[in-house]
Amino acid sequence: MHKIHRRTYPIIENWIEPGSRVLDLGCGDGTLLSGLVARKQVEAVGVEISEDMIVKCLGKGISVYQADIDRGLCHWHDRSFDYVILNDTLQVITRPYDVIDEMLRVGKYALISVSNFAYIGNRIRVLLQGRMSTKILLSGSWHDTPVIRFVSLKEFKASLQGLGIEIVDARFFLAFTFAASHGAQLVNLLARSGIFKLRRAS
Amino acid sequence: MSSKNIVGTKILQIDQPFRLESGDMISKMDVAYETYGNLNAQCDNTILIEHALSGSAHAAFYHEGDKNPGWWDVMIGPGKAFDTDKYFVVCTNVIGGCSGTTGPSSIDPITNRRYALTFPPITIRDMVEVQRRLLLGLGIEGVRCIVGGSMGGMQALQFFCDYPSMFASFICIASTMRHSAQQIAFNEVGRRAIMADPRWNNGNYYDEVLPEGGLSVARMIGHITYISEKMMQEKFGRLRKNKGAHTVFKPSFEVEHYLDYQGIEFVRRFDANSYLYITSAIDNFDLVSSISGAGRIRGERRERGKGIESLRTKRGLVIAFNSDWLYPPKQSQDIVHFFSGLNTKVSYAEIDTAHGHDAFLTDHMKQSVIIESFLDSLERSG
Repeated sequence: MHKIHRRTYPIIENWIEPGSRVLDLGCGDGTLLSGLVARKQVEAVGVEISEDMIVKCLGKGISVYQADIDRGLCHWHDRSFDYVILNDTLQVITRPYDVIDEMLRVGKYALISVSNFAYIGNRIRVLLQGRMSTKILLSGSWHDTPVIRFVSLKEFKASLQGLGIEIVDARFFLAFTFAASHGAQLVNLLARSGIFKLRRAS
Repeated sequence: MSSKNIVGTKILQIDQPFRLESGDMISKMDVAYETYGNLNAQCDNTILIEHALSGSAHAAFYHEGDKNPGWWDVMIGPGKAFDTDKYFVVCTNVIGGCSGTTGPSSIDPITNRRYALTFPPITIRDMVEVQRRLLLGLGIEGVRCIVGGSMGGMQALQFFCDYPSMFASFICIASTMRHSAQQIAFNEVGRRAIMADPRWNNGNYYDEVLPEGGLSVARMIGHITYISEKMMQEKFGRLRKNKGAHTVFKPSFEVEHYLDYQGIEFVRRFDANSYLYITSAIDNFDLVSSISGAGRIRGERRERGKGIESLRTKRGLVIAFNSDWLYPPKQSQDIVHFFSGLNTKVSYAEIDTAHGHDAFLTDHMKQSVIIESFLDSLERSG
C-alpha cells in the first residue's frame, strides 16, 4: 500500500505552489504535510480520525484536527485553502460525492488519488484465480478491509463530469516506475492508480 | 519506590491596590502559588497551569503529612506529561477563591472584617491579571505553554489572547469560549441552593455555622454533570448500600451515597461565597466579546491585547472528551475554528472515554501521550 501511496508525494509536491494553504484529509502520520512544510513552506492542516496518528502529527509539529471526514468540513469557510488533498483515502469514505463537493468548497483545488479497480492486474487475478487483488484492499480481507468503495479510473472521470468538476491535471501509475500523463490512452487498463488535480468547471 | 516530592503553597503579597475589570479596587492582594521543577537559565521553560472551579494552587506533589497529592499530580512530575525534570511548572489559586488567594472569605484590610458579599464581582480576566502580577513577581516574562481544563481552559484562552507575546502556546482541555444557556442554568441552580440555605445569611456566616447544606447540594449537582450517564450507570446502577431497604428520608442507593460523600467532602474545603463568585465569573466569560474591544475595559487596556496579530506564530492544542456533556466537543471545536481564523496553528484531539467531563482529571494516559507529543515538538521548534 505504502509504495503506491508514496508515489503520489512528489507529484503532489510538484503541483503545490510555495507558501500556499494546504488541507490534507486523512493525513495519517503527517509525512506528506511535513514534507510540504519543509520544501514548499505551506501552511498545513491535517484531518485524521485516529488518535495514534494525531499524536504522530503533533510530534512533527503539524496542526491536526481529529474528525471523521464523512461528517463534513463545515467548520472551514469557503476557500480557506488553496489545495485540499485526499490521498489514498477516497476508497474508505462513505459519502465520496459529499466529500469531493466539500473539498472544492473549502479549497480552490482538490488533489485526489484513485486506486484503479479496472487495472489489468486486478482483472487477471479475478479471471484466473477468481480472487480480488489484496492490493486493492489496503489491509485485511473482503469482510474487514476499510475499503468500501471500488471505482475504476473510467468511472471516476465520468463522475467528475457529472459533478461539474474539471480535471486540471492527472498522473497515472503504471507497473514498475512508469507514469503516464493526463490524456494518455489505455490508462484504465494499464494504471494501478491515478492522481487528479481538480477544480470546479467555470 | 522514590520518596514523595514535598511542596508547600507560597504566598506573594501585592501591596499596591489592584484594579478589577469592574473598576473596583482591592487594596491588598495575597496570591497563593506553587512551583515544581526549576526555571532554566534561558528562562524559557515555564508552564503555567490554570485550575478549574474547585481547584487550588496545589496542583502536584504532596503537602507535608498529606496522604493525597495535588489535583493534577497524574500529569505533573518527573517523567510525566508536564515533566518537572524539563519544565518549571507554576500554578496559582484564582482571585475569589478560598485556598490562599484573596477572596470573599479573606479579611478586608480596610474594615478588618471578612469581605463576604462586599467582595467585588470578579471575572476570568481578573484571574489572569492577578497571575500576570505573580509571574512578574517571579521574574518570568515568557511562558512556554499555558494549560487549563474546564474553567482553567477559559483562563488559558483569556490570558493567551490578552498577552499573546508572553506565550508560545496554549493547551485548552474540555472547555469553552462562552457558557451555553444550559451551563449557566446548572450553575444558577447551584448558586440558588447556597442562597436558599438560611445559614448562608446573605454571605455572613463566617462566625456561625456554615451553609453546608446549600453548598453540598451545589456540589452534588456539579458532580452529576461531571460524569457521563453511562459511567454513572456502570458505577452505581441501582445498587443499594443496605440491601432491600426502601428509605425515603435517608440515602439508600449507592449513587445517593456517592453524591452525599462528594458534597460533604467539598464543604470541608470550599467556601460557599467563593462558589458564588467563581461560578458567576465563569458564566459571564465570553472570550470573543472580551477581546473585540468592548468599552468596559479599563486600566491597562493598551498593553492588553497588544500583538494579537502575533497569534499566527503561536501554537495551540484543544482537547475534548467524547462523553463530556457539560463541555461537549462542539464547544472545543468552536475554539479551534476561532483560533484557526486568527491563523494560530491549532490542533484538536477528541479523546474517546466514558468518564465525561471529569476525564480531564482522571484520564491521564491518553492526555499525556497527546500533550507530550505537542510539547516535544514545541521544544524542537524552539
